[in-house]
Amino acid sequence: MSAKGERAKRSLSSSFQPYLRVIFFVPATVLLIFLVVYPAIQTLLLSFYHPSGAFAGLDNYGSVLGNRQTIDTSDWSIPYGTLINNFLWIAIHLPLSLFTGLYLALTLQKVRGASIVKSFIFLGMVTPMIVGGIILRFLFDEKSGIVPRAFGLLGISGLAIQWTAYPETLLFGLIFGSVWLWVGFSLIVYSAGLTTIPRDYFEAAQMDGASAWQTFRKVTWPLLRPTTLTVVTMTILWELKLFDIVFAATNPNGGVGGAADVLALQMFRYAFMAGNFNDAAVVATLLTGLTLLVSTWMFKRIIIGKGKNAGRLQRALRRLWARAKPLGRVLKA
Amino acid sequence: MLVVVVVALLLVTNVATGLAVYYLAPATPAPTVQPLRVIGPWSGSEKDKFLPVLNLFKNTTGISYEYITTRQEDLQSLLPNWFAARRAPADLIFMPSSFVKTYGTQGHAADLAGTVSESNYAAGALDPLKDGSKIYGGAYTGKVKPGFWYRQSFFAAHNYQVPTTWTGFEALLRQIETDGSVNNTPIISGDGVGWPLSDVVEHFLATYGGPNMNKQIMAKTLAWTSTSVHDVFANYLVRTLTPGVVCVTSCWSAPRQWDTGVAEWWKGDYALYFMGSWITGMVTPNSDIRVMPLPGGVNPSGVVFAADYFFVPTYASRLNDAKRLAAFLGSSAAQQLQVTVGGHIATVTGVPLSAYPAVDARIAANLTGKVILSDLDDTIGGTFQGTFWTQLQALWANPSNLNAVLTNIQAAMPP
Repeated sequence: MSAKGERAKRSLSSSFQPYLRVIFFVPATVLLIFLVVYPAIQTLLLSFYHPSGAFAGLDNYGSVLGNRQTIDTSDWSIPYGTLINNFLWIAIHLPLSLFTGLYLALTLQKVRGASIVKSFIFLGMVTPMIVGGIILRFLFDEKSGIVPRAFGLLGISGLAIQWTAYPETLLFGLIFGSVWLWVGFSLIVYSAGLTTIPRDYFEAAQMDGASAWQTFRKVTWPLLRPTTLTVVTMTILWELKLFDIVFAATNPNGGVGGAADVLALQMFRYAFMAGNFNDAAVVATLLTGLTLLVSTWMFKRIIIGKGKNAGRLQRALRRLWARAKPLGRVLKA
Repeated sequence: MLVVVVVALLLVTNVATGLAVYYLAPATPAPTVQPLRVIGPWSGSEKDKFLPVLNLFKNTTGISYEYITTRQEDLQSLLPNWFAARRAPADLIFMPSSFVKTYGTQGHAADLAGTVSESNYAAGALDPLKDGSKIYGGAYTGKVKPGFWYRQSFFAAHNYQVPTTWTGFEALLRQIETDGSVNNTPIISGDGVGWPLSDVVEHFLATYGGPNMNKQIMAKTLAWTSTSVHDVFANYLVRTLTPGVVCVTSCWSAPRQWDTGVAEWWKGDYALYFMGSWITGMVTPNSDIRVMPLPGGVNPSGVVFAADYFFVPTYASRLNDAKRLAAFLGSSAAQQLQVTVGGHIATVTGVPLSAYPAVDARIAANLTGKVILSDLDDTIGGTFQGTFWTQLQALWANPSNLNAVLTNIQAAMPP
């Protein structure tokens, strides 16, 4: 081909580029508009209307938030209501699964055959949560469950009971039990995060005479900050949209007296059991709002780059991503 | 240029593929007739005892069927969405009467007034499904919830006597606990999503509050928080639940999965089990099973009879065949076959007493002189059921919380 022809081809190709982008972008945009944006706006609108179709303003929000199913602080005993229960999950489940995962990742860092152990721990994560809920129900069974049996053997008769039959043991049993199901996630992400820290830092700390704790506090923990952000965000998002595990372990009402009830379950009841789509839309909007808060915070910290050490976070995240990809492939295999 | 070539290539290959598929594909096979789909709540041994009835229908009419087990609690949330899409997952579905009537009046259930013959049924059997001249479903066989089941051999071995007064009932529970004849509490509490506890409560109300108490609660003319209802709970049920009053711990176990509970009770882990009459079909040999109603109540006391109701969705793909099955299920031929296997009581007339196994004949004898009541939470229906069940679970966990439980149950009552 002559130089002129080559130039013409390049020119044609470059003039098509913007159109091609638009053409490839259109199907996804159309799908997103119809399947995500439109339903989201409809849900938001629905939350401001009565079932009769009359405009309700914030009435629905008032009635849902004022309902004892959502917030019950009458005597500060279980059930606390769905909103407080969701926050309790975050307050207890998040640190437990985060630090257990971190501890396991650090412990297994230099252990031969660690990948096999990690795979076993990660099994909880790949187990469908609906199955996880059923397993938890059996784990807490007074006769056949390992948990009450273990407490019985330890002589703690107060906990050698049917855990799902009492509000306190039900709620906290599910929270603690789900740590087992989720800890595989933080373990894998932290394991990948640890590989991004250059060995030189540890060697330098060792030469300076730093203890193991000092090395962890001054080197490992700060450099794992982007990893921690990822684990925290993903875990909070999971805890907010929690549904299947509670549904399977209890019933659509959140178990004994509604002790383990959560927002997503409440939304399900409103929509598909009571047929009240307006109140369900209120809960859905609240859930979306809370989820957006967390996602926006994460987005600002890492993607946009606001906040202290944002650049370092971005660089570390890129390194983490590069290291995590082969790990993901191995796990998938 | 490259883009033009790619687009042209795509066009050519698409057209070629389309033509190849059109001309080379085998001729479309004749459409196969889908079997009549039936959704019912029974699984395991209960299902095995229902299938012969469907087989009889198949042999009589030549209409093949497919039976699918689905819990009614799940269908409560699934069916409204099917109906909204003007579709149905099956041609005939078993659901509680309140559901059938509610969705029937909204046009989602076919009117079976010309299909099921009301005159075939015992008086009032179809009342919960009626709206004026329309009948939105049919009643299959039913079950009663007559009292506490026990093994005759177990009572004989420990010399226990069936009590005739409430004081005697308390003494029996105390004796069972003191003797250590069972490794656990005297009574096992059934659970699942919570309905077995509601059956217990209905029996206490019908016995010590009288049948009118159940009827007034269902009619919403008597509140759960009223003194009379509170007293039945406080003076009878809660006494047996509260540790240190009748039994040292509680007389009742923590709620356990009801069907596995049957096996535990039958092998002697517990002495008494409150359950519906279907339990007679779940134990072997059932000649050893006996039932005792709560003693010393209001005379006449009531007993809950819960029929298995079915309906034909308006959107059934085989509407006429489904109506034929509905008529068959409301016939004495079908119900006689069902009652012979035990655990069921016919809702139609014309089923001879000789068709019942001995154990069910004894149950029938226990019903003499009692007022027949419909199932309370099935009749009220809706979201009340779920709240009712979980609040009773809460009462079992903490009997001292009676007032809060009754307040919450009352708050869940539909207007």
